[in-house]
Amino acid sequence: MSIDDRALGELLTESNDLQVDALRVNREVQPALADIGASRKGRPVDLDRVRSVNTERRRILRNGGFGMGALAARGLLGGAFGAAVLNIVARPVGAQENVDVMILNTASSLENLAVAAYGAALELPFIKNGNAVVKAFAETTMSQHEEHSAAFNAQAVALGGGEQNETNPKYTPIVEDATPGLTGPAKVVDLAATLEEVAADTYLANMGLLDDAETRTLMASVMGVEVQHLATLLAVKALLAADAGDLIALPPDLAALPAAAGSVGFPESLATPDMASPPEEGAVQ
Amino acid sequence: MSTQTPDINEVPDVPVVKAGMNRRRFLVTSGLAAGAAVAVVACGSDGDNNATSGATATTAAAGGNTTTTAGGGGGDLAIAAGAAGLEVLAVNTYGAALDAAAAGDLGEVPPAVAEFATTAKKQHQDALDAWNGVLADNGEPEVTDPPADLETTVNEAFAQVTDPAGVAELALMLETIASHTYLDAQAMLEGGDARVLAASIQYVDQQHAAILNFVLGEYPVPEVFQSTDQSIL
Repeated sequence: MSIDDRALGELLTESNDLQVDALRVNREVQPALADIGASRKGRPVDLDRVRSVNTERRRILRNGGFGMGALAARGLLGGAFGAAVLNIVARPVGAQENVDVMILNTASSLENLAVAAYGAALELPFIKNGNAVVKAFAETTMSQHEEHSAAFNAQAVALGGGEQNETNPKYTPIVEDATPGLTGPAKVVDLAATLEEVAADTYLANMGLLDDAETRTLMASVMGVEVQHLATLLAVKALLAADAGDLIALPPDLAALPAAAGSVGFPESLATPDMASPPEEGAVQ
Repeated sequence: MSTQTPDINEVPDVPVVKAGMNRRRFLVTSGLAAGAAVAVVACGSDGDNNATSGATATTAAAGGNTTTTAGGGGGDLAIAAGAAGLEVLAVNTYGAALDAAAAGDLGEVPPAVAEFATTAKKQHQDALDAWNGVLADNGEPEVTDPPADLETTVNEAFAQVTDPAGVAELALMLETIASHTYLDAQAMLEGGDARVLAASIQYVDQQHAAILNFVLGEYPVPEVFQSTDQSIL
């Protein structure tokens, strides 16, 4: 594989600088969010809002959302796990629950699972000692997911809720089940792409559910990063499938890239949230 | 650079809108505090056929409650019109790049770059069709012109482009402006469906940007949190 290690290092340093800037901005707005959260504590439940969320929830389910169809198509749903997943998905939002906090908790649970999955992948010999770009991507992406989880948790606390430090209950057993079968980079990339798509689709669907504008902006901002992870993984997956792993390099050999590399990273004109997790899936109990 | 009007009849149906979105739900009574900023987007074009001024959109969005604030107004329809203008600019720019490539003006164009431009152009056309569908269903004219100031900037930049890398850099600028604007709009859009549509396009534009970063030899995911630095709102 051809790779300019120094250039890659510089790019990662630049990315880290951007990360520091983003975190600083995030910290600056937290006091204001805490004030908002304090003002909302003890506020009566908005029953209209609960009804609205449940209506939207049913609409997403009717349209094949919340990941059920897509999971089944990927062979990731069946048997006892399938029953457990269905139980989680079938539970509607209750009147006693703060929907925005539930959404944030679920988002943190997905981020925590992504951190765990990338961490486990980095222990695999063919990742740890494999393609330097893939390894650097896994390390950087894991770190980015950690920051996302922390931001969602901070926002949940600011809105009067609690932190979610556990991994997502629906996907954790699915990932654990898939782990023994991760015998090569392509399977790891495939699993990582699925987790990124679940997170991104969840955040996309949540744009229609979230009441709080600051939370929407935060979640859409994270979505914008997860979809870039996803696009990169889809491109890497295609190159691996074409037995062209040597083209996974920075900078790439543009002339040698297959035409499909120019479009495989964005399969839809308008993204549909068909892998979205419902608001309460990862809520703190 | 070509600024030809896209042929709406050639645009395929848009899945998100078909999948049950009631375009009328975009109509909300909006009391946007950021009306002036929204108007900048909505009034970005000089074209006579451009859809809405901020005030016109407010009239529709408010169901007859005309907003008369000078330079202000707003609402989801104003943002929809501004977004459509950005999409026109993207379609035209990718179209011009493909024309230049076909004419041999860009030298040897790698297959992956040509495929990127072709697919991105189609996807921006689909996004344009989605926004114009929203506008048309709410009695507003469709947007066919890009924001005049941005078009001038892009035309000047395009005149300097001589190779595929230059096209990629210009495309990255456009995708970044679009995705940052869609993210910025999340705090302003009132309708849930409008927010999901904006986010579904932000989703794809960010993916375009990731692949363009890769093509240009940059790290494909440069930010931990997507920013709104390049938003035109």
